[in-house]
Amino acid sequence: MTSLIINAFLLAGYYAVLATGLAFMYSVMNIINLAHGALIVLAGYGLYVLGNDLNLPFPVAIAIMMAAMFLLGVVLHRAVLARAYGGGELLPLLATFGISIVLDNLMFQTFGADNLSLAPLVGDLSWASFELPGSIFVGKISVYILVTAIVVIGLIELLLRRTALGHRIQATSQDRATAALLGIDTGRTAAIATGIALATGVVAAAALGLRSAWGPYGGSAILLFAFEAVVIGGTGSLWRVLAGAIVLAFAQSLGALVHPQGFLIGGHLAFLVAVFVRLRGGRISLARLFGKEARA
Amino acid sequence: MTFDISRRNLLISAGAALGTFALGRTQALAQSATPLKIGFISPVSGPLAGFGETDGYVLEQVRTAMAGGVTLNGKGYGVEILDRDTQSDPARSGQLARDLINNDGIDIMIAVSTPETINPVSDACEAAGVPCISTVMPWEAWYFGRGAQPGAPSPFKYTYHFGFGVDEFYRAYVSQWDLIETNKKVGVMYPNDADGSAIRANLAPRLAEAGFEIVDPGAYETGTSDYSSQIRMFREAGVEIFNTFPIPPDFIAFWRQAAQQGLNRQIKIVQVAKFGLFPSDIAALGGLGDNIASAAYWHRDFPYTSPATGLTGVALCDGYEAATGRQWTQQLGATLSAFDVAMAALSAASDPKNKDAVAEAMPNLKADSIGGVVDFTSGPVKNVATGPIIGTQWQPASGGAFKYDYVITENATDTNVPVSGQLRPYNA
Repeated sequence: MTSLIINAFLLAGYYAVLATGLAFMYSVMNIINLAHGALIVLAGYGLYVLGNDLNLPFPVAIAIMMAAMFLLGVVLHRAVLARAYGGGELLPLLATFGISIVLDNLMFQTFGADNLSLAPLVGDLSWASFELPGSIFVGKISVYILVTAIVVIGLIELLLRRTALGHRIQATSQDRATAALLGIDTGRTAAIATGIALATGVVAAAALGLRSAWGPYGGSAILLFAFEAVVIGGTGSLWRVLAGAIVLAFAQSLGALVHPQGFLIGGHLAFLVAVFVRLRGGRISLARLFGKEARA
Repeated sequence: MTFDISRRNLLISAGAALGTFALGRTQALAQSATPLKIGFISPVSGPLAGFGETDGYVLEQVRTAMAGGVTLNGKGYGVEILDRDTQSDPARSGQLARDLINNDGIDIMIAVSTPETINPVSDACEAAGVPCISTVMPWEAWYFGRGAQPGAPSPFKYTYHFGFGVDEFYRAYVSQWDLIETNKKVGVMYPNDADGSAIRANLAPRLAEAGFEIVDPGAYETGTSDYSSQIRMFREAGVEIFNTFPIPPDFIAFWRQAAQQGLNRQIKIVQVAKFGLFPSDIAALGGLGDNIASAAYWHRDFPYTSPATGLTGVALCDGYEAATGRQWTQQLGATLSAFDVAMAALSAASDPKNKDAVAEAMPNLKADSIGGVVDFTSGPVKNVATGPIIGTQWQPASGGAFKYDYVITENATDTNVPVSGQLRPYNA
């Protein structure tokens, strides 16, 4: 039982890492980025090329990729999202869906069908474990991923609450017109926010690659878990994403306890319950689905 | 009346067995206006793309070999191959098949790799009355999965499949697992999909009869990201053999978690299927990939030659490695063997352009291929010829361009295939 609870918490850390970029993008930009999974996979390929083909140390590869994904985010915003933004809720959704399909096939063309993993870059770390009293083994990499999730969320929250850029991002997210009236360059702010969201995807890619493996079409599975965690948690604060990830991981672990096939079903049930709770008695909208509320 | 029909069939059959096939045309000009058209459908992109990755190279070899046409029973024909990519989508598979049949007027169809590709194509061909040859999926899922009933006569007239089934896995596994002293406790992870369910229902009981104790935590869903409960169960049961049929990312996640829990140190044989068919899977595991045992439907050491191209297994694989810089895979020979069988089927018919004649020749076909003899006369059911599953192991290479050698460790289902190494304990 103890190991089940510990495992569920560690799994939650992984989901939180996957979901952070998606939640950030939605809470700041009101865009549900359906290319989120594909972009994480893209970052994974980047890490693989830097680490495996160019033999750079893993932390250096992560730093370079974060910079690269930040730039890609800025470009993506300027080229696509800013234009789609004015067209209502549906247009950005369709635009990012299209981007994900293009990315999937581009990555297949470029990198082929192989399943790749980042584990060979870090020696035995991906299957090393800590032994706790009571012969409970805890995977080291899972612990590091959970810690990273908390650090990343903490840093972004700090950025949003304590820095001028953070305040500009919040103002832009709450009311773009008013923010612009107050002299904020909302386009630039939104572009930076997109860049930050994509940069967090590099952390997710590292977690994915160390935990398991990915192929060119792996993005949709990632998107599903991230989406579920975000809807269960809601997007008012990124800490709620962590809470959503914990609920998702516990629901899955409980499901697996009932029956091995119940793992995914447990998570889906928690997701459905969250959807019903959020949408009960009122009009159906994406904002309500994501539990969007203003930051305190 | 019945007597007449069966006698007629007998005569056709007797004639069919005499078909000859040769590369190059004896009588080129007269027939070149109406070439033989071969449809070829496989998953080249999408999640199943690992299977289709080598098909481009194989098609190139076949096209080169047949550029000068072929001679069937003394008559020359041109050959045109129309290849299509399913993008790993079953609906698209069927649509492509119907398009090739209706708009391109193909004479015979080839479908390769996985139920998602083959079954829709076979169904379309059966409905349209076009001969179809397929390989690389368990024949049970092809035959029973498309509505045939056990014990009843085969409902299929135009579609034929060759390759492994559950029985081959059974014989290979028993032979492989007896190579190392174990406690005969087998932990199994079979997913909740077509392959997993078929294996659970048909293979596991037979392994139990053979004296193995099966520890089965139950079906899991593909895409599961945490396997703690299964790992705990295997540890507590003390399994020393592990068998699974997962998609690659699932196995990689599972096996790392298992290693974190120390399960890898107790297991002597890690026998995987579906995962571990191709060298890239094993490379993605990092150090955990050493000495993973696998099972192959084809191997470069198969001592056979492809009549359709004249290539041996070694020549095919060396050519592929030289052309692409990538390690050979077992799909190379499997795809080529489908062309071998298709050409044999066309040459066995009195007229290769007559679809009914080709279909009638098929049940009596014994075709040479790069995968060995494909014998439809002795199959478990009318439309199926069985093919081997050979026990193998990914052993770290002692030298050479690639990280792993794919070593043959047993040959129970085809004793012509040379065993090239000894099975090593995984946890040694």
